[in-house]
Amino acid sequence: MKGTHRIIVQNKRIRYNFVIKRNITIIRGDSATGKTALVDMIREHFENGTASGIELTCDKECTVLEGRTWRGQLPMMRDCIVFIDEGNEFVMSDDFASAIRDTDNYYVIVTREGIPSLPYSVDEIYGIRDSGKYGTLKRTYNELYHLYQVPDWNQTVKPEKVITEDSNSGFQFFQSICERGGQITCINAQGKSNIFADVVNHRKEKILVIADGAAFGSEMEKLMRLIKGYPNIALYLPESFEWIILESGVIEDSNISQILKHPEDYIESKEFFSWERYFTTLLVQSTQSSYLKYSKKQLNPAYLQEKVLDKILTVIKGIDLC
Amino acid sequence: MLNIYYGNMPEAVFNTSVYFKNVYEDKWITDPIAQEMILDIDKSVVLDSAVIDSPVMGKIAPTSLSGGVKTLILMKNERSKVFNASTCGDNCAKWILKLAEGSDLTINLRHLMDFGEGTFDIHIVNTDQIVHNMKELVPIAGLYV
Repeated sequence: MKGTHRIIVQNKRIRYNFVIKRNITIIRGDSATGKTALVDMIREHFENGTASGIELTCDKECTVLEGRTWRGQLPMMRDCIVFIDEGNEFVMSDDFASAIRDTDNYYVIVTREGIPSLPYSVDEIYGIRDSGKYGTLKRTYNELYHLYQVPDWNQTVKPEKVITEDSNSGFQFFQSICERGGQITCINAQGKSNIFADVVNHRKEKILVIADGAAFGSEMEKLMRLIKGYPNIALYLPESFEWIILESGVIEDSNISQILKHPEDYIESKEFFSWERYFTTLLVQSTQSSYLKYSKKQLNPAYLQEKVLDKILTVIKGIDLC
Repeated sequence: MLNIYYGNMPEAVFNTSVYFKNVYEDKWITDPIAQEMILDIDKSVVLDSAVIDSPVMGKIAPTSLSGGVKTLILMKNERSKVFNASTCGDNCAKWILKLAEGSDLTINLRHLMDFGEGTFDIHIVNTDQIVHNMKELVPIAGLYV
């Protein structure tokens, strides 16, 4: 499945109207905002159709996955939007992550827990905006230029230490920039699950965390809670390092700018578990026969040439790493 | 005091809604504290032990209360059990602190609930430390969720 899908579901008392655009959407938030009521209505409509008294409008079938038999139910769900309510512990398991990896469904999961085995985006975590009988989804974490928790948006972030999630090309790129300036230390956390502990250890310094926003959703809540007490810590969460390069325009390909305007129209959920993987594939394919040939493991030195580097840095707004 | 075990706790009751449906008693609903919690969180009024007036859903049964309120009612009435409090939103945090006043309450959290800007005494069971505000709590508890 790809693209955006609007879901309107209503009965005589409540109406929900929202759009989803990636394979995994998380709904969380305060109690009594109608999360379970939403899943109940989806289930009742799926089981009974219009005889349920519920009207559901969507270009895809909407269904509910739950209970101990989830493994048996899942293969019957194809090209569907699958809702999972809280109380279904299986969503935390590696089994679930591997079972949904190659499916062509979108998943809407109600949970307050972070799910490290699922690569969901920081942009696709929502609460239900409740105005009495009308519910819609409200993005939980808002940002400007992919920067989070910056006290003054007019002031440039100038860290003493950069912590990257990436240990490969992305880390090598940011480490090179920091070394040139000579004032910023760059370390890699070797994976998103280690970032929180690294930030805790350095929380009194001026830190910038750089991670792939496309798959960082599971870590977001605890980091945002932590940095609430530490305005010296900021997060920079572009979709991914490869997205920064594609966005910069260093690769001359008119298709790329079209794709980046609406990635959801191009990214097939069955092929790409997260957008970050799609952007890597796109960059590798777009550069395979050029001097900018990209490899995730080892940064091509061409990306550190002055002209290319300057162009890439124009994408990273609001941050001074030199 | 409020004792919190962060992270996966197999002995905790995970699906509190199912547990509530099968064990709740009428007097739990009409209890004055429960009525206050239901009014505060669900904006609903207890009419009697079996009927609650919800501004959105109309007249509902106790089993149709929000997951957060059902878990709070369980915490109040079944102190020997540990419940998964990640079924509660941040709007339940002040009630959890209140339920722990004067007697021990142990809960399981699988996310970082926001206990607000004020001070409190929370015992983090994982590390056997007592914390007094969110700035102290988050760096410790965040390592377990």
